[in-house]
Amino acid sequence: MPDALLLAAALACTVIGMGWLSLAMDVHWIQVRATRRSPRMVIILRVLGAASLAASLVLCLLADTATMAALVWMMLLAVAAVTIALVLSRKPALLAPLVAAFPQSP
Amino acid sequence: MFANFRLSFAWLHTWFGLVLGFVLMAAFFFGSLSVFDREIDRWALPETRIEPQPMPSFDTILASRFAEIAAPEPEELAAASKRSTQPLPEKLKPALFGAYTTHRDPVLDVFVGFEVPNSTLPNDLAYGSVVIDPRDGRKLPKDRLALGSAFFYPMHYSLHFTWYDIGMWIVGLAAMAMLAAVVSGVVMHRKIFREFFTFRPGKKLLRGTLDLHNLTGVVALPFHFLWALSGLIIFAGVYFPVFDKMLQPLVEQHEREEARHTGLDAEPSGVPGTLASVDAMMIAAKDHWVSRGVPGEVGYLQVTHVGSSNAYVSIYRDSTDRVATAEGLHFQGSTGRVIFEDPPTGAAETVNGFLTGMHLQQFRHWTLRWLIFVGGLLSCVCITTGFIFFVEKRKHVHARQGTSGSRWVDALAVTTVTGMMVATLATLVMNRALPEDLANRDLWEKSTFWIAWLTALTHALWRSAAVLQARMSKAWAEQSWAIAALGAVAVVLNAATTGDHLGRTLMAGYWPVAGVDLMLIASACAAAIAARKLRARAAEVVPVNPEVPDYA
Repeated sequence: MPDALLLAAALACTVIGMGWLSLAMDVHWIQVRATRRSPRMVIILRVLGAASLAASLVLCLLADTATMAALVWMMLLAVAAVTIALVLSRKPALLAPLVAAFPQSP
Repeated sequence: MFANFRLSFAWLHTWFGLVLGFVLMAAFFFGSLSVFDREIDRWALPETRIEPQPMPSFDTILASRFAEIAAPEPEELAAASKRSTQPLPEKLKPALFGAYTTHRDPVLDVFVGFEVPNSTLPNDLAYGSVVIDPRDGRKLPKDRLALGSAFFYPMHYSLHFTWYDIGMWIVGLAAMAMLAAVVSGVVMHRKIFREFFTFRPGKKLLRGTLDLHNLTGVVALPFHFLWALSGLIIFAGVYFPVFDKMLQPLVEQHEREEARHTGLDAEPSGVPGTLASVDAMMIAAKDHWVSRGVPGEVGYLQVTHVGSSNAYVSIYRDSTDRVATAEGLHFQGSTGRVIFEDPPTGAAETVNGFLTGMHLQQFRHWTLRWLIFVGGLLSCVCITTGFIFFVEKRKHVHARQGTSGSRWVDALAVTTVTGMMVATLATLVMNRALPEDLANRDLWEKSTFWIAWLTALTHALWRSAAVLQARMSKAWAEQSWAIAALGAVAVVLNAATTGDHLGRTLMAGYWPVAGVDLMLIASACAAAIAARKLRARAAEVVPVNPEVPDYA
């Protein structure tokens, strides 16, 4: 895969991962869903988020040498976190697809 | 002194952040611009709008250019004469040739180091330089200002206060304050994880401002910390001049030891000598890199002990593929034989190389370049929201007490946030508006910058009278309008004076100029939107006795 695609995929993974991590927090979950969720779902969201961020690191490492990849990943995390914070403050419904597969009631 | 640890850190964060924040704003704003310094150079110097060029032939082009540089720059000469214990001779002897380029440079910096006899410093050199077009060796005029690399970039680390390096010391102090602000900010922040993604712009201005300050501070925390730290490390030699001051005898001994080990003499032999074909050495270096399987163009070329029998030529691989810099091959000047290859670096040197390289960004990685630019802007947002929070939290109390503290802070905040952009854009506009053949064109451009900034300061001070009544200064909105107007004018002037309008540069894929134009348009649009909102807010009626919640 060309580097540009790898990096685009890495960016997507960081944004989605940060999205899941944010939805693992009660305050942001209620911005997206009216119903409560079980503690198990919180754990699932955290694991998904962490796995997605880890996947983005792997993608960065595939695209570049380790020193470069570490910098790219660190900066992607910052950009993704700001993006998610802005989405949550303007249009939190945009994050609904991230939890579309989750059942409506706990 | 304070009731608890958190309060004492809050005090540190508030006051150091405020006082040095104005300097940090300049460091981060011009640092962000410096990420694209070569591209801004292309925009400002239309005659250099060509593709980046590799290192040209030494034997046919560079050798004669070096020979033509007869003396150091006047300011270098003046400084050197102060370091020398005797009057300097009429003509100084060249001791070093250097040429530096990167994968983003269409023009080449060529410089000669002249020996300063009877200097108080060892191996003291004074430099003279020219910028050439590497395709034919044509010299570019001296009074054309490379706005990015020769004005915004030095502004970033020295504020152009060169007297006793005072600017570098101020910026260094500010970087220390940044490190302290990052640590104390983490200590003060009560909900660092719970409010990681929190931004509530709809609520009170104070709440939204603090949210944005915390958000940009926390998510880009590694960036803030590492860039302030690496900035300090780059100039560690200035801040802690142990090597050329305190440990001089040890350093000289080390140099001799190293010379014995590497075969690269620390002193010229005193016997005249000639130089073999440097082009052949460049070819040998490239062959060597190919055999090692690494990409390689010549990034930096240096001839040491020029004209001496023990002259040597150092050829460094450009750093497109890695963060750290410097990887050199050293040839005997008289024979072209390889004397020494830089060995793999040790642990400390590797970390230093990484931090320095990360800050200086000579690599070829456009995604990372943009990400670092965004990181710099996040720092700017963090610092700006810090100022606004300071003012918003205090202005009602100050208005009731009749004190003017928040007025002054607001005026300085306007000057360093919008005022700095006004000054920058005014300089770009002037760069395109001045006649091409104007004498001392660079002086006109530099003066424009300072005059525009001073005007912005005066305007901010005048308009900030509103803050005395706890209202918002109209300067924020008005300077935003100025940014919008100047940004648009700059794009139009570029098209009018050079013909390189966006249609042409985008079609040709000439990104240095297209990119600067697009950023100018984006900034102008953002400034116009901000100006409308700021004007609406400045017109708001202030409640007589508002409750000021204590957030921090």
